Amino acid sequence: MDWKRFGFIALIIIVLFGTVVMIGQVKQPPVLIITSMLATTIAVATPLTLGALSGVFCERAGVVNIGIEGMMLTSAFFGWLGAIYMFHVFGMGIGISITLGVFFAILTGALMALLHAVLSITFKVDQIIGGTVINILAVGLTGFLNRQLFFGAGSVFGGSVPNSPGVLPTIHIPLREIFTPLCGTSTACLVNLTAINRVFDQKPIAIGAILLVFFSHYILFNTRWGLRTRAVGEHPKAADTVGINVAQMRYLNVLIGGMFAGLAGAYFTIESVPSFEPLLTNGRGFISLAAMIFGNWTPIGAWAASLVFGASQALLINMQIFRDVIPPQWSFLQESYIVGLTPYILTMFILTGIIGKTTPPAADGVPYEK
Amino acid sequence: MKKLYFVMALLIVASMILSACAPSAPTAEDCSKEEVFCVGLVTDVGKINDKSFNQSAWEGVQKSQADGVADVVQFIETADAKDYAKNIAQFGDAGYDVIVTVGFGLGEATAAAAATYPGVRFIGVDQFQAETVAGVSGLNFPEDNAGFLVGALAAAMSESHKIGAVCGTDVVPPVWRFGEGYKAGAAYADGMMGSTTEVFVVYHSDVGFDKTFTDPEWGAQTAKSMMDQGADAIFGCGGLTGNGAVTAAAQAGAYGIGVDTDQYLTLPEAAPRMLSSAMKLITPGVADLVAATKDGTIADGNVFGAAGYAPFHDLEGEVPAEVKTMMEDINAGLLDGSITTGVPPVKP
Repeated sequence: MDWKRFGFIALIIIVLFGTVVMIGQVKQPPVLIITSMLATTIAVATPLTLGALSGVFCERAGVVNIGIEGMMLTSAFFGWLGAIYMFHVFGMGIGISITLGVFFAILTGALMALLHAVLSITFKVDQIIGGTVINILAVGLTGFLNRQLFFGAGSVFGGSVPNSPGVLPTIHIPLREIFTPLCGTSTACLVNLTAINRVFDQKPIAIGAILLVFFSHYILFNTRWGLRTRAVGEHPKAADTVGINVAQMRYLNVLIGGMFAGLAGAYFTIESVPSFEPLLTNGRGFISLAAMIFGNWTPIGAWAASLVFGASQALLINMQIFRDVIPPQWSFLQESYIVGLTPYILTMFILTGIIGKTTPPAADGVPYEK
Repeated sequence: MKKLYFVMALLIVASMILSACAPSAPTAEDCSKEEVFCVGLVTDVGKINDKSFNQSAWEGVQKSQADGVADVVQFIETADAKDYAKNIAQFGDAGYDVIVTVGFGLGEATAAAAATYPGVRFIGVDQFQAETVAGVSGLNFPEDNAGFLVGALAAAMSESHKIGAVCGTDVVPPVWRFGEGYKAGAAYADGMMGSTTEVFVVYHSDVGFDKTFTDPEWGAQTAKSMMDQGADAIFGCGGLTGNGAVTAAAQAGAYGIGVDTDQYLTLPEAAPRMLSSAMKLITPGVADLVAATKDGTIADGNVFGAAGYAPFHDLEGEVPAEVKTMMEDINAGLLDGSITTGVPPVKP
């Protein structure tokens, strides 16, 4: 465990939250501010976490994947399209349509990853170029199909976007119900409990992402599969000499990475907002990459880094909510574009290596030639 | 190795073809002729079917064709801010009579094109001119009035007395005026009803200017954050970002308030909880200016269209009669000038 790194991340998050609490406490009780920010942080971090996990699996196996953005965008489109198709054309129920939509998204991510794998493992194409191809292809493919399928002549949907079957429901974890007796007659206690419960009331993909972080950590560092994955990423020749099929390991890990990116795509159109818009991922795939590096190519580190990005977005939102009560000596915080720079400045700081060097897998980005 | 290059080339070519979604050269070669009246429209970064800004302007152009004013109408979708000038030039070179450019972002490119194509009338939707540009009519709307109307409505309807607005970047003056008008409207309604309403206005201020209008996920998260803090009416102003916010509000059972057009009609996911929309009457505004160009009565400089608020639709029954009366009074007051929002044209 890289305690220095985690300490630094925790410090940043505490500073960001603390700033808001200090400014906002004249308007809102601190508990409400903190829980609201936590809920935002976790939700915003979800696609970043999944994207970063996608990067971790690919790069741990020695394949650089800058196509995460494109994989997310394509999956967001096909997941959404699949859900609509199941609902409107095949007349399935809402729940089953949405669930199938998530599977379509994961499948799409895997297919895009397969393309990347073929290019970078079989054909040994420069992996940066392979990833770029995926990003460009995704923009074109989704833009083109979005237009043709919904607005083109002879579209199944008669020229207008049909209502999506909806989004995944929030899972209510009944903390409030369990702990209410402890509050007795205190209303303040009840209010706080309700606020705290809100942090835990997340949607399935958000909860799934957190579980997947720990699952990935276990897989990568405590199983034979993980050892082999890291071996082909660090020293493929050594792995090959002991009988590990390097190409196969790389293929499978890139495919797993693609499925993570696919789930991240599903988050956008099936969990967050029930509609697809061209370019809706808006560079989050690249922020995921930064999170992966920030987290030193480990699942838990990448998750922590994603939380920093989530927290800085929560800061941006809340600074504006509390704009009127910002003390005059801190008036620069009123300028939303200055606060908006926080994640980018943080990224630059982190990449300079102030908190310790980040070390990529030794064979990252190097095609394996026997 | 040869095979590999072939595969790469094929992929790159395929991705380029797929990326080139913009319609190819205009179908009508007759636009250079004197008697054929052609209207071209260049969208801001985004799609013609954005359920908002580009779409209403395009409907205005289509209306002018239906009215028999324009003979040929065509649009080009801008995929990247770098292409503004190139897209305008496509119409300029084809001899179009009127070129409508949609959005504040195209202001500079439009002014430059007006110098290159002196015979063409440019209509810049949402392009406020600090100094009059020859050949360009800037179609503006009193966004502060529109924001004022829905701000008053939200404040009057809110039970928690907390309302929110999720907007694109405040670097764009119209967006800023929506947000500030919203605050002023809420304060006005408070004065009328003796209530105290807290107003959260959040602008999406990312470094990427165009990104702030195409980020529904950001809008949704911001709206959720406001609702976590008690807001029960969310105004989404700023393209797809705002759409995300309104949709999230509607899903959570709060009131959603749309922008630019009557979004009850264009945002089906949010329709059941759509209270109203702050409307810029873009469609008639564009159609009127196209007709004025043909008549020769159009002038350079700023032209102002009208603002309004959309019908309550499904929530008609939830809005009390006195709120309806108040809204009609405010609308009339804004139109005749007896009520002013006090919002300056640009951020000080």
